[in-house]
Amino acid sequence: MNPQVESAAPAPVPASVSGSAPEVSPQQAGPEASAPRSPLLSVRDLGISYGASKRNPKLVVEGVTFDIFPGETLGLVGESGSGKSTTGRAVLRLLDVAAGSIAFDGVDITSFGRSTPLSYRRDVQAVFQDPSMSLNPRQPVHMALTAALKRHGIGDAASRRAKVHEAFDLVGLQAAHLNRYPAELSGGQQQRVAIARALVLDPKLVICDEAVSALDLSTQSQIINLLSDLQEELGMSYLFIAHDLGIVRHISDRIAVMRTGRLVELATAHDLFEHPQHAYTRRLLGASPAEHPEGRVERRAQRTAYAKLHAEGLIEP
Amino acid sequence: MNKPTPPKTEAFRALAPPKERSEASRVVRRITRQPFAIIAFAWLAVIVLWAVFADVLAPYDPLQNNFTPDEVLQGPSAEHWLGTDENGRDVLSRIIFGARVALAVGFGSVLVAMLIGVPIGLLLGFRGGWSDRIGTRFVDIFDALPGMLVAFAVIAILGRGLPSLMLAIGLIFCMNFARMSRAITLSERSKLYIDAARVSGIRESAILFRQILPNLAGPLVIQAAILTGSAIIIESALSFLGIGLESAVPSWGGLLGVAAAKQAIQPFLAFPPGLVIIFTVLAFNMVGDAVNDALAGDQHKRIKPVRRSRRAGAAVASVVPATDPSPDAVVNPLPIWPEPVTDRDVEGEPDADRREPVRALPPLGVAPDRSSGDILEVRGLDVELRPASGPHVPLVRDVNLTIGRGEIVGLLGESGSGKSMLARSILGLLPPGIGVASGRILLNGEDIAGRGEKDLRAIRGTEIAAVFQDPMAALSPVHTVGKQLMEPLRVHLGLSKKQARVRAAELLDRVGVRDAANRLNDYPFQFSGGMAQRVAIAIALAAGPKLVIADEATSALDVTTQAQVLDLLLDLRDEFGMAILLITHDLGVVAEACDRVAVMYAGEIVEVAEVDRMFDGPRHPYTAALLAANPTTEAQVDRLPTIPGRVPLAGSWPTGCHFAGRCAFATDACSEGSVAFVDDVRCVRADELSKELVVR
Repeated sequence: MNPQVESAAPAPVPASVSGSAPEVSPQQAGPEASAPRSPLLSVRDLGISYGASKRNPKLVVEGVTFDIFPGETLGLVGESGSGKSTTGRAVLRLLDVAAGSIAFDGVDITSFGRSTPLSYRRDVQAVFQDPSMSLNPRQPVHMALTAALKRHGIGDAASRRAKVHEAFDLVGLQAAHLNRYPAELSGGQQQRVAIARALVLDPKLVICDEAVSALDLSTQSQIINLLSDLQEELGMSYLFIAHDLGIVRHISDRIAVMRTGRLVELATAHDLFEHPQHAYTRRLLGASPAEHPEGRVERRAQRTAYAKLHAEGLIEP
Repeated sequence: MNKPTPPKTEAFRALAPPKERSEASRVVRRITRQPFAIIAFAWLAVIVLWAVFADVLAPYDPLQNNFTPDEVLQGPSAEHWLGTDENGRDVLSRIIFGARVALAVGFGSVLVAMLIGVPIGLLLGFRGGWSDRIGTRFVDIFDALPGMLVAFAVIAILGRGLPSLMLAIGLIFCMNFARMSRAITLSERSKLYIDAARVSGIRESAILFRQILPNLAGPLVIQAAILTGSAIIIESALSFLGIGLESAVPSWGGLLGVAAAKQAIQPFLAFPPGLVIIFTVLAFNMVGDAVNDALAGDQHKRIKPVRRSRRAGAAVASVVPATDPSPDAVVNPLPIWPEPVTDRDVEGEPDADRREPVRALPPLGVAPDRSSGDILEVRGLDVELRPASGPHVPLVRDVNLTIGRGEIVGLLGESGSGKSMLARSILGLLPPGIGVASGRILLNGEDIAGRGEKDLRAIRGTEIAAVFQDPMAALSPVHTVGKQLMEPLRVHLGLSKKQARVRAAELLDRVGVRDAANRLNDYPFQFSGGMAQRVAIAIALAAGPKLVIADEATSALDVTTQAQVLDLLLDLRDEFGMAILLITHDLGVVAEACDRVAVMYAGEIVEVAEVDRMFDGPRHPYTAALLAANPTTEAQVDRLPTIPGRVPLAGSWPTGCHFAGRCAFATDACSEGSVAFVDDVRCVRADELSKELVVR
């Protein structure tokens, strides 16, 4: 799928994890046996609850288990409300974890308590969905990068400026863009700034939460290419969250499918598309808009038949 | 390849102001354009001058008593321009020195209020949760106390004097600032850029003061200006009541108090302090308003309505009303338009016939021989933005499009292609300042371009309806979906309340909402995104429209829901036979649902084709590039093909082909002149390229 990555990081894709069972157990997802390298991020039995009291937790994410290896891209796919973004936010420590553990580089980050170590804030970065919202509208765009570098005590003023320049250059922006306000940039350029902000700290893991969903078709491809190029060059891992299977296919080594807070399938990108195991994955594949009108009558009939079965209660909701 | 297009047009210059001008200087410029604001600022400048140079400006010592009878309570005279008070002191001097007290109290108390209120608001808004809930109650309770009572209490405890006066008035205002800062902080806190700052490791305090506080600056300035005026009034009121400052200290309110006591003897005494107070308070309010307007931008400007060009208007006049649906009705108005340019008059130049003639009138593409079957026919449509100053900016150019009855036509384009503007011009929902400059929109053969609201109301719902991207924004949050669904049924179909309710339940059931009869009583927020879009579709279909315009109606939904809503639209089309204009940026949506596709780029339709033909053999390079750049295609490649560059903005469209700057097949000929839309494609090289444009 992504040959550049494999050459950069030998054998990051464990072959044994093509989870055939609907529920993925830690053993199946855990590649310790087959992979020589230890995972960068290791999520075990993750549970996240919203709002409800501690005695009666209402879990929106339950029993989620997966690993991300150095230099690997894991796609995380599901409908809205499936808990995929919630999982990403938990890894970013923007949410509290109710159960399970998240280990980064062997350290359980759920044990940090309220404060987050600065080193974690440096190693794990994010690119969010809506680039116009993820940049402060009242600051020139370079400020987001400069402030981050300053916070992490990297370099003096001059070398920080040089680093920001370098990051802008890396994502295909020019020096002229540095002092622009977000509103003066196009959606694609804004997303490039957001990527530059993530990269300037030299992270090991970048959470891309629907990073291309808000962009135009031709811009989507540009950003996906950029992310792959950067991975090849810098060797970081991605957790690539999206609702559209088609989009994650290109960039992911493995893909995890989530539904109503649970992981239903985890497989290599190739296996997931060619031999989907779980009924829900197949349905998701069927719903993903096709790239050609050919066979659309049959697809529609299939969906209608499924909806009918669903309405009659013959399929579990 | 990616050659920059020189900014040739006037419009480009108008849209691209010099970049070095900062936001602040833009705001200042907008303030100085308001005449009342200038007067207000001038008055305040005078007051400030009085306060600063009172010792020089005042003709007398304001504290110098003179109890000789003919010096007490005098009217205006050559020695005392504004007369004297009960102690024989010069009123003009006291007014001038009074400016010091007024400004000190005004600015001082607002500063006190901000210093107390803003941190409270920031903290409550940022912490959220329990501390916010409890804190906000306290703020509410404190705010509910009558202001004057608070002031009395503070002065009673601390005694009279400038500091206690500032504190008293500051306490009255502080909760005002607290509430405002809390509200803004609360809304900013949940924004993505705050999350992004957290992920970068930025400290909470830095987020609060560097990221959120700047958002407060504008509203704070406005509020502070207005409250400074109010503070001066309260100071005057307290001094008038005799509990402000010592009576010897020259203050406007104190003067007014004396004037009230001595009204019978010297009525003139009330005018100088009264007028100064009125003007000053008014000036502060105006400054607040001016800053507010300036921060809001140029939106308030008067905008001229856009009229169609006269010759196109003449064509409109000859349109036969739609009451006669015979084919002639549509063909009749056309003779005054030029014949389609098909004669190849320039030998040796293969692309000559694809050059656009000088467009005195919108050209006709193909003669509309099947127009009798068309529900919608758009001919030579130009939509323009006409700003209050500066040149007109074309947003949609020379659009020709037909939609047959029961046909689903996709309008495919990226953002900035003008597809939504085209949809809005068909619906008659163009924003102010934007309008149809020329061309015609024939609905059932009747020209509806530029019609008034009243005429359009008659056809909206029954002839033409719309479904938009965000159902939650399209549905009213304060009415039940039943009420919103019954309204078109009652207005357009004249059903009774009972009949409408039955029909509404049927419709809701038909669009796939379970337990429809009961869910009529629910409000939109009780529906999920997909279900709310189904409700919006039911409302659109209520009065049986012949054409539904779905503007990115499935774009905000995730893939499974999107497929369901698309299937619903297809089912409904099969059942009711309405035509659908499906506006989308998603090739998958086009592939799944459309019969025909119109591809739009930078304001122009570049290609129209049957859906299979477009996917198999695109004729315009842009269509081919879009198909190749689709990231969801199955092709196993390392890198996705992309289109270099970006869509040019309206106002900076290049001469000739709009796509030429990004096109892999562009030659110099492409930029020479406008390209005509011939044989459903707008490309001078369309004929030569037919073999080269292969997808995959």
